[in-house]
Amino acid sequence: MITPQVLNEWYPVAMASQIRAGQRRETQLLGIPVTVKMSDGAVAVHGESDSFPVMERFGHVWTCLGSPAHDLFAVPEADQPGRRLVDVGVVRVKCSPLRAVENFLDIAHFPFVHTDILGAEPHTEVNRYEVQIREGSDEVWATKVTFYQPQAAKSAEGGIVTQYMYRVPAPTVSVLYKTCPVMPDAWDVIGIFVQPLTEELCDVWPWMALFDDVTPEAELIAFQQMIFLQDRSILENQIPRLLPLDPGMEIPTQADLSSIAYRRWLKKRGLTYGAQMVAA
Amino acid sequence: MTTRWIATGLSHDLPNGAVMAGQWQATELAVWRSATGKLAAWKDRCPHRGMRLSHGFVRGETLSCIYHGWVYGTDGGCKHIPAHPALTPPAAICAEGFACVEANGVLWLAPVGMAEDPPRLVDLRPVRTLSLTCDLATILGVEPALGGSDIIRGSVRIGGQDEEICLLVQPRPNGITFHALCSARADVVQVSRWLEALRRSAEEKVAA
Repeated sequence: MITPQVLNEWYPVAMASQIRAGQRRETQLLGIPVTVKMSDGAVAVHGESDSFPVMERFGHVWTCLGSPAHDLFAVPEADQPGRRLVDVGVVRVKCSPLRAVENFLDIAHFPFVHTDILGAEPHTEVNRYEVQIREGSDEVWATKVTFYQPQAAKSAEGGIVTQYMYRVPAPTVSVLYKTCPVMPDAWDVIGIFVQPLTEELCDVWPWMALFDDVTPEAELIAFQQMIFLQDRSILENQIPRLLPLDPGMEIPTQADLSSIAYRRWLKKRGLTYGAQMVAA
Repeated sequence: MTTRWIATGLSHDLPNGAVMAGQWQATELAVWRSATGKLAAWKDRCPHRGMRLSHGFVRGETLSCIYHGWVYGTDGGCKHIPAHPALTPPAAICAEGFACVEANGVLWLAPVGMAEDPPRLVDLRPVRTLSLTCDLATILGVEPALGGSDIIRGSVRIGGQDEEICLLVQPRPNGITFHALCSARADVVQVSRWLEALRRSAEEKVAA
């Protein structure tokens, strides 16, 4: 459902480098056709008759179909020296944009969906972690998340217990911080910027800010693409396609605290595009 | 819709330790067979996050959801949640069951509580499952020797002989699926080719 709150959010619609290289992207946002292209030396986003505000951040073009309720969220690490920023590209998924974000917050699926990469039996236990809605920024945060991973990243050699933090700074965005295999005191940053094409179809733009100046870019991208394609096989087979916001449709456990918090946060703020409000 | 048995597949397509997607009218189901051969059919949805259980995997006498590995026994009850290995799952966590029985090499589905047995198919043996992108009327138009609605039967000429053919109808949203049987003495390879020819003729008729 399109509410004013949904319209007043920022959403990603393109990779900035592609538009700046002269590509024109005909796409849609919240079911409305939009075009992203260069116009008078600047990136522009317009619909059939309107033009929309544009923001270029984190390698992507962001727009808002209503009146922006707030500035785009911040990722301070994006400006940190020594980090490599990687635009992974796009993965189209036939699912609710909200289900794509919720899956990104989930660690319990690692041993079964990303077997021998992000997880492996018998290391399946999800220890208690902390979840909060941060006041001020009004973001969902999950902290003190730990999980054993056979190959946590392209740069990882052998299994490690990876630490994670997750945040949801916008309804269709999640950013995670995880132990950097080559610099154990630093966090690697990985985000997914989800473009809601419709309530049941989305383009997912993964983005990374890593400490890894060794691995060729193509390999970093291939690794992340592989992970997302494994996720897609799940996301396109969940029933119902829309994310149920009413309790009762699905059964969460303690490992799903971040999912519970995300769903409540969406519901309280009227961010219901891609959500199912009433139990079917 | 009346409550009745609907064929969802042939026994030989579901070996021990395997799971397949099934359907009873509009209800999508996961049908699986344990390592020792026990059959079970459930709504195709893990109660945890709605993932299709037909994408899951069988280990011993259990089916696990592919998403988070939740383990279900043949009675549908959740036995184990890998994210919380020490937890005994509450009895309320269970897959929603359907009745699934096997007779004459055919897997039949119905809602739980069906009083009568599935149709008896005497002197017939299973051949194969075939999906067509046309409706039943088109097929009966192409082969007038066949007749019926849920169970299509007739005697047709295959390889110079009259052979009994039986097609168990499973309606789908954009077409129809048949689970085909034939007389015990017929050559199944020839029957299979005859069925493919029937499908080709029916689908060409729709295209034309």
